[in-house]
Amino acid sequence: MADSYRQTTQAKLARMGIYAMLFLLALWFLAPLYVMLTTSFKSLDDIRSGNLLSLPQSFSLDAWKTAWDSACTGVECGGMKGYFGNSLKMMIPAVLISTLLGSLNGYVLSMWRFKGSDAFFMALLIGTFLPFQVVILPMAQVLGMLGLENSTGRLVLVHVIYGLQFTTLFFRNYYVTVPSDLVKAARIDGAGFFLFFFKILLPISIPTIMVCLIWQTTQIWNDFLFGVVFSSGDGQPITVALNNLVNTSTGVKQYNVDMAAAIIAALPTLLVYIVGGKFFVRGLTAGAVKG
Amino acid sequence: MGALSIRKVKKSYGDTHILKGIDLEIENGQFLILVGPSGCGKSTLLNMIAGLDDITSGEIYIADRLVNNLSPKDRDIAMVFQSYALYPNMTVRRNIAFGLEIRKVPKIEQDEIINRVAKTLQMEHLLDRKPAQLSGGQRQRVAMGRALARNPALFLFDEPLSNLDAKLRVEMRTEIKLLHQRLGTTIVYVTHDQIEAMTLGERIAVMKEGEVRQFGTPQQLYDLPSDLYVAGFIGSPSMNFIPCVLGEADGVGVVTLNNGKEDQLISLGQISDIQRPFVGKPVILGIRPEQLTDPASAHSDHPNMQILTAMVTITEPTGPDTLVTVNINGVKTVARCHPRAAGVPGQSVQLSLDPTKALLFDPVSEKRLA
Repeated sequence: MADSYRQTTQAKLARMGIYAMLFLLALWFLAPLYVMLTTSFKSLDDIRSGNLLSLPQSFSLDAWKTAWDSACTGVECGGMKGYFGNSLKMMIPAVLISTLLGSLNGYVLSMWRFKGSDAFFMALLIGTFLPFQVVILPMAQVLGMLGLENSTGRLVLVHVIYGLQFTTLFFRNYYVTVPSDLVKAARIDGAGFFLFFFKILLPISIPTIMVCLIWQTTQIWNDFLFGVVFSSGDGQPITVALNNLVNTSTGVKQYNVDMAAAIIAALPTLLVYIVGGKFFVRGLTAGAVKG
Repeated sequence: MGALSIRKVKKSYGDTHILKGIDLEIENGQFLILVGPSGCGKSTLLNMIAGLDDITSGEIYIADRLVNNLSPKDRDIAMVFQSYALYPNMTVRRNIAFGLEIRKVPKIEQDEIINRVAKTLQMEHLLDRKPAQLSGGQRQRVAMGRALARNPALFLFDEPLSNLDAKLRVEMRTEIKLLHQRLGTTIVYVTHDQIEAMTLGERIAVMKEGEVRQFGTPQQLYDLPSDLYVAGFIGSPSMNFIPCVLGEADGVGVVTLNNGKEDQLISLGQISDIQRPFVGKPVILGIRPEQLTDPASAHSDHPNMQILTAMVTITEPTGPDTLVTVNINGVKTVARCHPRAAGVPGQSVQLSLDPTKALLFDPVSEKRLA
């Protein structure tokens, strides 16, 4: 009895220790967000006179308004709104196309193997290890040859190509766990390649589709390097615009506007994780546990 | 009319020969079993009949129609899979309807078919459920329903009972047989289980290493196996194989069996022309445990019932009988005895051997000497 009592108090203490640690870590990681949020609501005087961690003296949304529609990024002074739109116009088609193509690739690589399909898959896998920087030069040449002028169009193409190995990997790894008898049954029922894909395979891939959507959304929205290299002028994505805004060296440094703009730029990915995070974890482990 | 005819069918991947020339033929309404150990090519053959695998050479006819170059959906077949292969995103009703929709069966007719099939298999209450909400046995039933809905010339079953637990397996086995009797369907059924093969099949093809070792009725396979492999594969416990030397006395074949202490001469019956060249040479005597039993249980009125004595090494009661292991000619030999006549280890028992059921095999070619 005494022994088990000691054990339970020990377990309780250990648990409390874990929670305390987690709480401190959460505070640590949340600190930058706190600073960004409070700073974005402060006036410039407030920022200059106060301390980094202090709460705003007077609550103001002016910095957000400025960031959205009148902040200067280089010579342009139209705020972030145009670039936010650019990013959306680039992200949505790029995410959808790369997810759809990835699922088709995964379907072929797992259920319609052909001679050399394993080698093909290996090559794709290597693609996931290639850093952005390696791709830039050949990509620029290809884009040049294609003669694609439109910034958004170029970025969609680049992101689809670069994202394809990831989406293919996700779908292929899920589809190898789908029993091959299912394809056989469908073939006997008379369903062809696409009918089986759209009527049976895609509907059971929802968790993997969610993983791909979240992964690709984050990757594409947050990308800076491709954006800065392959787009120009008012076709730039929001990450590039944010950089230009923060680095503008004329006039007084408006920290509150910078912070508001940074939060605006981070908002979509934050939203995606809050809404879809549950699916993300479920989808990543979908192959591991048999439902 | 031939329901299924397989002629000289081969399957190779490069130099690997999976099937080495298969010839099989069944009539309408027959139940054909393909049985053999894993890797014998039985599933490959089934997939080739279904059109899911290419045929390297040879011909396959379904209902007298050459199907070599037809796609699975045009072969007039339906298949039931080991993993059931139900579409997980569809209800049972949609699972059954899927194939009908593709073949553009009118909606009213579809409903009629679904209701008829559901009634036949007593699964009306399952129609609106998803496969994940069904038990193993129910999934199996739905998979059969999907096949029945097609009303095909030929049903293909690929180890359909392997994923079920032992009790359910026996139940579904009976159900499949009943269904076959009621609907008169033609079935090709793949299994590795010889009991399933014996209980279900009207024709059994025992396969090994890409060849059909024997093709016949269950009783033929049991009574007159063509070689040592089939003899050992069919029947449980397996046939005893006792090495001995064939002798001849007045036209009757005799063998000497040694129980560890003494030689006993056993006469087997008229020697045949095929057996005669083996006189004086080693042969293998094949005798099933049930044909080696205590004299009181031996209900054969054969006048030449042979008696031999042997020492019991182990007894295994099964309930109705006890399996008695003795040592004859240096090999473990199992006899099926009445529990009261089984003796105890170390004791000497008398066993009667039915010479009309004893078989002789050539130890080199492994063929039966008939």
